[in-house]
Amino acid sequence: MRALAILLLTAAPALAEGDLFIYTWGEYTPPDLVAKFEAEFGVKVHIDSYDSMETMLAKLRAGGAGFDIIVPGDATMQVLIAEDMVEKIDVFAMPNFANVDDKWREVYWDPKREYSAPWAWGSTAFAVDTAVVTGDVSSLAALFAPAEEVKGRINMLRDMNAVIETAQFYLGVPRCNESADDMKKVLDLLETQKAWVKSYDSESKELLVSGEAVVSMTWNGYAMRARDEKPTITYVYPKEGYTGWMDNVAVPKGAPNLDNAKAWVNFVMAPENAAMITNYARYSNGIKGSEAFIEPALAAAPEINPPADAPAPEFIPTCSPEATALIDKVWTKLMN
Amino acid sequence: MALLDTRSKDIRNLPGFGLTATLAVAFLYAPILFLVLYSFNSGRSISRLDGLSWQWYQAVFANEEIAGAALNSVLLAVIAASVATVMATAAALAMVRMKVRRKAAAYAVLNFPLMVPEIVTAIASLIFFSSVGLGLGFGSLVIAHTTFCIPFAYLPITARLTSMDPALESAAADLFARPWRRFTLITLPLLAPGLMSGWLLAFIVSLDDFIISSMLSGPGSTTLPVHIYSMLRLGITPEVNAVSSLMVLVSALVVITSGLIARKQT
Repeated sequence: MRALAILLLTAAPALAEGDLFIYTWGEYTPPDLVAKFEAEFGVKVHIDSYDSMETMLAKLRAGGAGFDIIVPGDATMQVLIAEDMVEKIDVFAMPNFANVDDKWREVYWDPKREYSAPWAWGSTAFAVDTAVVTGDVSSLAALFAPAEEVKGRINMLRDMNAVIETAQFYLGVPRCNESADDMKKVLDLLETQKAWVKSYDSESKELLVSGEAVVSMTWNGYAMRARDEKPTITYVYPKEGYTGWMDNVAVPKGAPNLDNAKAWVNFVMAPENAAMITNYARYSNGIKGSEAFIEPALAAAPEINPPADAPAPEFIPTCSPEATALIDKVWTKLMN
Repeated sequence: MALLDTRSKDIRNLPGFGLTATLAVAFLYAPILFLVLYSFNSGRSISRLDGLSWQWYQAVFANEEIAGAALNSVLLAVIAASVATVMATAAALAMVRMKVRRKAAAYAVLNFPLMVPEIVTAIASLIFFSSVGLGLGFGSLVIAHTTFCIPFAYLPITARLTSMDPALESAAADLFARPWRRFTLITLPLLAPGLMSGWLLAFIVSLDDFIISSMLSGPGSTTLPVHIYSMLRLGITPEVNAVSSLMVLVSALVVITSGLIARKQT
C-alpha cells in the first residue's frame, strides 16, 4: 500500500514552472515547432493525444485533467465556451493576432476570438479522376446526377453529417434542417443516388487511387494525398457549396501553466510558425504571410488553397435536437 | 477396435475440420499479414505496394511522440502486471489451499473485470478517480490496469496450483519448515511457470488496452494504442502499419514465450 502511495505521488507529473501540456490529435504538432518553442521560452513541452473530441470533452467535464492546451474543432469549441470550460485569454489582444486572416476573426464558434486562435482548417467536398470523368465537374451533379460511365463507381464518405449536408447543398435547402419536407427530399435524393453508389466508405484516398471509385466525396487532405499518388485526381470546390472545419488552439479552465499556454497561443499565430503546421500536418493554417514559409508544392496545392472563384466554405455548428433527430432518421433509412 | 475409437474421437477426423480451420485462421490472420506487408511499402499508400523499404520503421523510431507513448505503455504494463501477479498469487493460494467462506462469491468478484463491459469500467473509473481527487494520469492508469489484469494473471496461476501435489508442502511441514520457508522453498519454485505465464498474459492485456487507457490517461501518460488511434485522424499511412506491426511482434513474442513455459510445465 505504501509503495502504491509513493508510486502515485511520484507518477503525478511535475507541474513545476517551465512545462506545457498539450492535448491534441496524434502527429498533428510539428516537432520543429515544439523544439523552437522550447528553445525560445525555456519550457518543456509534453504532448498527449486523444482519439476523439468526445474523449477530450469527457475528460474536461470530469475535471482536473491538467492540460494547458487543447485543439478542438469548431463545433466543439462552441460547446466548450457555452459550458464555460475554457479560459478567456483575449486572443484578439495578443501581439500576433494581427497576422490572423480576416476570414478567421469573426467565426461562429468564438465571435470575438476571446478564447481561441486558428490552428488548421480544411474542407469536405469531392474529387474526380479526370482520366475517366470528362466534362464539367464544378457541380455536385457529378455525385447526384452522374454520367453513365460514373454510375456504380461513386464513393460517399461513411459520415452521416457530411453525406446529408452534401445532399442539402445540392438541393439548396438549409443545413441543420428542421423541416420534415426538406429532409424527405434529402432522403429521396440519397436513395435514388444509392443505386449508383459503390460504397459508403471513409477511406476515400485508397478508393480513388486504386480506381475503385472515380468520383468520391473526400476531405481535402485525403484528396491531396490521392493526387500525390495519382496525378489525375482533382479536388472540386462545388459551386453549390461545401463544408469547412477548423481546429483551434484554446486553453482549458484551470490550466496549470496558464502563462506558458498563452505564450503558445500567441506563438502559433506567427507566420513562420503557422507555416510549420501546414508543412507538417499538410492542412491550411489561418495566418496571413505564412505562404512565404510553406513548401512550394504545398503552397501551390489547389486542395489547401481554394481558387479565388470557389465559394467560401460553410461552417456548421452542432444542430438542434430536432434537426439531429431528422438527420439520424434519414441516415438510418438510407443505410438499411 | 480401440484404435478406431480414439481415431473417431479425434477432432481432426470430423468432416469439414480442415476447411473450417483454414478459413478461421485465414479470417483471423490475413488482415494482420496485409498490415505487416504494407508496413514495408516504399510509397505512402496502404493499398498499393510500390516497393519495399524500411523507411516507415525508421520514421517510427525517429518519432518522439511514438517513443514517449511506447515507453508509457511498457512501464505501465510492467508495473500493472507485477502488482496484479502478486495479488493474483495471494488470491489463488487462498482459493486453492485454504478454506474460504463463500468461495463462489469470491471467485465471482475476482473475475468481475472480465464480465463487466470495458467501456463501463472506463467511464466509471474516469468519474470515480476525478471525483475523489486522484485525477487522471499514470497513477490512475496503474490502478485501473492492475484491477483488470488480476483475473488474467489469476487463471494460469490457479491452473498450476491445482495441478501441484499438496503432499510436497505437507512433507515440508512434517520436516518442521515454517510457513514462510515452505512457501519460498517449495510452493514458489513449483509455481514459477504459472507465475510467469500469468505475468505475461497480464502484461499483454495491459499493453493492448485501449478503452480504459483512452479515458484515464492524463498529462504525460498517453499510451501507444491511444496514440495509434489518434494518428488515424490525419489518415492511415504505412507509419501506422509499422508501429502496429511492432506491437504484433511484441505480442507474438510474449504469447510464444508464455506457450513455451506452459509446455514445459506438462
